[in-house]
Amino acid sequence: MAEFSTSIKENGDIRIINLKGYLDAHTAPTLENNFTELINNSKFKIIVNFEELAYISSAGLGVFMAYIENIRDNKGDIKLSNMNDKVFNIFDLLGFPLLYEIYKNEEEAIKKFSGS
Amino acid sequence: MQLFLIAVSLIFLFKVFYGSPDTFYLRLLFDLVMGISIFFLLLALIRFENSRSSSPLSLVLNIGILLAIMFFIIMFSDFLLTSIFENINLKLNNPGLVYNIVSVIYVLILVAIISFFLVTLRHFFYLNQARNTSIYFNTMLVFFILASISLNFFDDESLSFIITTFFVVSVLLMVFNSIRISWIAFLTKKEKIYLLLLSFVITTLFIVNISNSSGENIYSQIVDGFSPALKQFNQIIMIYGSIYFVILFFTTLFHLPTAEAYDRKAQEITSLQYFSKLITEVLDFNDLAETVTDITQKLSGSKASWIIWRNGTKHNSVAAKNIGFIESDRISNQILEKINFENLTSTKTFNLKDKITEGNAENLFSVVSVSPIKTRGETQGILVAAKGTGQIFTRDDLNAIETFSDYASVAIENSRLLEESIEKERLEKELDVAREIQRKILPLKAPDFPNLQIASVFIPAFEVGGDYYDFFKISESKLGFVIADVSGKGISAAFIMAEIKGIFESLSKTIERPKDILMKANEILWHALDDKSFVSAAYGYFDSKEKRLTFARAGHCPLLLLRNNDAKEIKPSGLGLGLCDVEYFNNALEEYSIDLKENDTIVLFTDGVTEAKNELLDDFGDKHFLKVLQSNINLSAEELSNKIIQEISVFSSSHEQYDDITLVIFKWQQKLKFDGE
Repeated sequence: MAEFSTSIKENGDIRIINLKGYLDAHTAPTLENNFTELINNSKFKIIVNFEELAYISSAGLGVFMAYIENIRDNKGDIKLSNMNDKVFNIFDLLGFPLLYEIYKNEEEAIKKFSGS
Repeated sequence: MQLFLIAVSLIFLFKVFYGSPDTFYLRLLFDLVMGISIFFLLLALIRFENSRSSSPLSLVLNIGILLAIMFFIIMFSDFLLTSIFENINLKLNNPGLVYNIVSVIYVLILVAIISFFLVTLRHFFYLNQARNTSIYFNTMLVFFILASISLNFFDDESLSFIITTFFVVSVLLMVFNSIRISWIAFLTKKEKIYLLLLSFVITTLFIVNISNSSGENIYSQIVDGFSPALKQFNQIIMIYGSIYFVILFFTTLFHLPTAEAYDRKAQEITSLQYFSKLITEVLDFNDLAETVTDITQKLSGSKASWIIWRNGTKHNSVAAKNIGFIESDRISNQILEKINFENLTSTKTFNLKDKITEGNAENLFSVVSVSPIKTRGETQGILVAAKGTGQIFTRDDLNAIETFSDYASVAIENSRLLEESIEKERLEKELDVAREIQRKILPLKAPDFPNLQIASVFIPAFEVGGDYYDFFKISESKLGFVIADVSGKGISAAFIMAEIKGIFESLSKTIERPKDILMKANEILWHALDDKSFVSAAYGYFDSKEKRLTFARAGHCPLLLLRNNDAKEIKPSGLGLGLCDVEYFNNALEEYSIDLKENDTIVLFTDGVTEAKNELLDDFGDKHFLKVLQSNINLSAEELSNKIIQEISVFSSSHEQYDDITLVIFKWQQKLKFDGE
């Protein structure tokens, strides 16, 4: 089975989740736990870095939908960055760019959080 | 028992008729009857004893109680009997009926007590004897009898050495037989201390009773007057008892220092036996973990025990015994700072940097032992035992813990394997249901529609992928179609599929415009689906009169149009169904129309096609897909779909199909239809 792991780093009050490997129905709970933990700790400014993500399935996409409402209600946001073309294509097909801010790199996303 | 009662009545009659016998033969006869009655009593007692199978300790206690009773009888008989029979000496020589009755009862009590002693001592003698040693005991009994009865034969001073010889041999045999007391080794430390106290008291009582009964008090006079042999026999048994308990006392005393170690070893063996039985019986991980820590704590004499279990990248304390989760987590963290799972291959101990106190200061943990629990060859858990300040883990403790963690590994691996196979079976059953739902939902065959070749292929993945497609005959000239992919897999995806089918089937009957249908579908699904689930879909319809295809795309893969040797992706804007609320969705959704030309080929597909993988985990890919389509543009719809499937199977032949593959191909053939008419 394909492996998936996440790591979280801090940047001020922003939390950056790095994804690595294959995000699908079987590995999605790992990311779900990350989101739950951040929300429990009232960290609502979240950037998800897709640089090392090889694959995302529809169930993986669902994870983002599950938490966005709660996070935005708390004046936070999930911003996405560093997607490769293949991953972006999957997000794009579903119309995610209309729902999420997607940036080329982490810095832009951080700037956006600091600016607002 | 009946025989005993008969013998007793004989004794009684004998006494009444003859009084104190003075002739030699009468005395012999009397002692013989006496002996027989004791013999029957012993047999009865032995049978009773065997049927009861009580513990040695309770028997020892019984002896003590009887000794105490005997002691009081001896003490009180002095003035009780004196007050009844004013002059004992007179009575001895000239006994009346009352005296006879009293003395018979008196002696009977004595006989019962010493018989019980003898039987119990015999019981101890045979306890835990590996070899058949009855010869020693029986020889001793013979000498007891000889020593007693010989009193009658050798009155003469010159022959008294024979009595003494018998007596001395008896005592020697007593000592010899008293050494056989291996049964005390199997007592626990507590029981040994108890036994030590009891045997001390009993020894004292035996000696006191011996000295009492040999003195010139009433008790000894009555018994002596009744039968000197009996008195002698009584003395011998009492001596045997005191010797036995003196030896027992000292042996127990010497056993005490090793008692604890012995206890531990015994416990170890019982625990391991118990646990190896458990391995095959208990299959629930949590139950096993509880047992493992429970036994570990006892085996090593630790204050607390728990298991650090690795769960992905996290560590949990499981089955904590005698320690709170907060404290065990704090100690776990200290442990994990020093060692990691991979490097732990054998049991180790170390001192905690920060001592952890739980509740009151008594519960202080300062030293821990850690042992690996392995499954699949990897250290998955750490068995922790913690001790307080001043306590240490001895070599023995560590050996025990290590052995035990090995056992635990096997047991946990067993339970894991079983759980896996149960889970797999459950999953397979579930997937069977899901596949069955999917099979029933999808159309059996493509419908007939004028001017349109229709081909559809659906290849389910092992884990149902949630692909759905369908056709709706809206009117004679209009054919609706939908293709959708439910997020997630398995039974939950299959249920959402069924819901989608219902929604599109009913909406297509009342609403014509694809955009309106998808907007309505989103409105329904936004409320119906949970946060994580969504559906990508494309809905459209062919109008054979207008020669037009109208469709809208809700997050689904693009529609491909093959025309004039070119393949084109058509991807109007649109969000997935159930992803967001009505406003967002409706604003984003576009509708697209194509005026159909001869031989236009429309290809609908799900991502199972483009994401089919080869052994290097490369995708079949959009570009590859388009190329295949381009180079086969002249084939019929049916031929084209076969060609595509063939290409995909060649590409991904060595990789398991991960997602459903759905392919629907329409080919517009105005002329064909005209030709046909």
